Amino acid sequence: MAEDTVITDPVTAAADRLKTLTRVMTTKAAIAQTPKELIWTLNKAKLYRYIPVLPKAKRHPIPLLLVFALMNRPYILDLRRGHSFVEYMLKQGYDLYLLDWGAPGPEDKNLKFDDYTLDYMPRAIRKLKAISGVEEFSLLGWCIGAILTTIYASLRGDEGLRNLILLTAPLDFSNRQGLTFARWTDERYFDVDKVVAAFGNMPGEMIDYGAKALKPVENYIGNYVKLWDNIEDPRMVEGWHAMNTWVTDNVPLAGGVFRQLIVDLYRNDKLMRGELMIRGERVEISRIHANLLTVIAEGDHITPGCQSEPIMSKVSSADKELFRVKGGHIGIMAGSGASKLTWPHIDGWLALRSQ
Amino acid sequence: MAEAPLHDGKSFDPMEPWREVRDLYMNAWGKSMVDMVNTEAYAQATGAMLNNYLTVSAPFREAFEKAMLKTLEQLAMPSRADVVAIAERMTNIEMRLDDLDAKLDNIQRLIVQAGAAPRPRAGEAPQPSKKKQTTKAKQTKRGKK
Repeated sequence: MAEDTVITDPVTAAADRLKTLTRVMTTKAAIAQTPKELIWTLNKAKLYRYIPVLPKAKRHPIPLLLVFALMNRPYILDLRRGHSFVEYMLKQGYDLYLLDWGAPGPEDKNLKFDDYTLDYMPRAIRKLKAISGVEEFSLLGWCIGAILTTIYASLRGDEGLRNLILLTAPLDFSNRQGLTFARWTDERYFDVDKVVAAFGNMPGEMIDYGAKALKPVENYIGNYVKLWDNIEDPRMVEGWHAMNTWVTDNVPLAGGVFRQLIVDLYRNDKLMRGELMIRGERVEISRIHANLLTVIAEGDHITPGCQSEPIMSKVSSADKELFRVKGGHIGIMAGSGASKLTWPHIDGWLALRSQ
Repeated sequence: MAEAPLHDGKSFDPMEPWREVRDLYMNAWGKSMVDMVNTEAYAQATGAMLNNYLTVSAPFREAFEKAMLKTLEQLAMPSRADVVAIAERMTNIEMRLDDLDAKLDNIQRLIVQAGAAPRPRAGEAPQPSKKKQTTKAKQTKRGKK
């Protein structure tokens, strides 16, 4: 009996805890480990194709393109081995592509939604079609990526888009009182032109501060307390390490896009009101005919459900579904429950529509 | 010293009550902070701070930029504006290359399609070109769009 009990002296235990804490806070975790090949580049944008793990006969014929936000790294979709949406979808037999926007430099400060949706996306999709040999495809957009995919689907949806999946999509900005970001960026307090003139691109650190300041105690203190409490649980520590690597890897947001986001969307709700103009073309959500799955995170403090739900009644899609899942803005896809709730639901929905 | 196991098999952790109090306090604090950042006063204060910072730092930023520009000129080195201009031109060239790539992909696809079509036997009159039909059909389809 006595042999089963491991007696650790308190000083050694505390030293081990501190060593683990230092390691996870000062090093980068091994993230984005799923093998992929680069098939297209333009400026900072890169299109990757993940190496399939199933033979062609067992794969779904319709390829899936993942489009993440502009101001965060897309490897949140392939966070770590054994807990990766990309890895999961490859095992379910999808031909998977990822559009990585990269980090804009000073020369990209004038890039707008117009450039991303009418230059970068159509070109990347053309390459995807050429490589896959299929004319139809599915799109998955998450966060700002969902704004991009919605605009693309409205303007170029007739160019082979069969399925559209929107995750935590900030599309409706009519409820300004319910949106903290809308309050912070109100024209009375926030001079967007002055900020863009000073910085060019919106620094990643400022965007990170904005996201964290929505829940300051949880993000600046609670997060580290949770780590300390669970520091002897290797699974929890590795998960925290990977997430911290992603959270601290900030990307600036192109000044032109930032201005459009604040002025056209947060302040004037132009997308849902059908007033958003992209290179002279009006973005009409009613022109979306693709099968649509909208995923709402019930605990999302960045994009509350009221921002994603109204699109359901505006699209012309005959086949559409709204799926609510417990979790936060990122947690629904990268949290511990993602592999049991969100991923299987997306797969179940998409598999039926990818034949 | 080994901790005494309780009747449910778990050992007693003297820090547990303290943790519970701490979590309760942090939850309450977190909620009050969320309420605070949601106020107009907070939005006004952060907006004013950012505005003041930009106003105060603007002359220094301009002076620094001018000094840097002169230094780079004297050292015969390119300025940020020069590098940005080159980068923009590079992106334009990349776009032209991508256009060419699209055309090559299209040609390759047409060649594959033509190769897959049955060839006329020797002595047989050639059938009307399928390639032309495909192109015509495509044009009509595009026209419809």
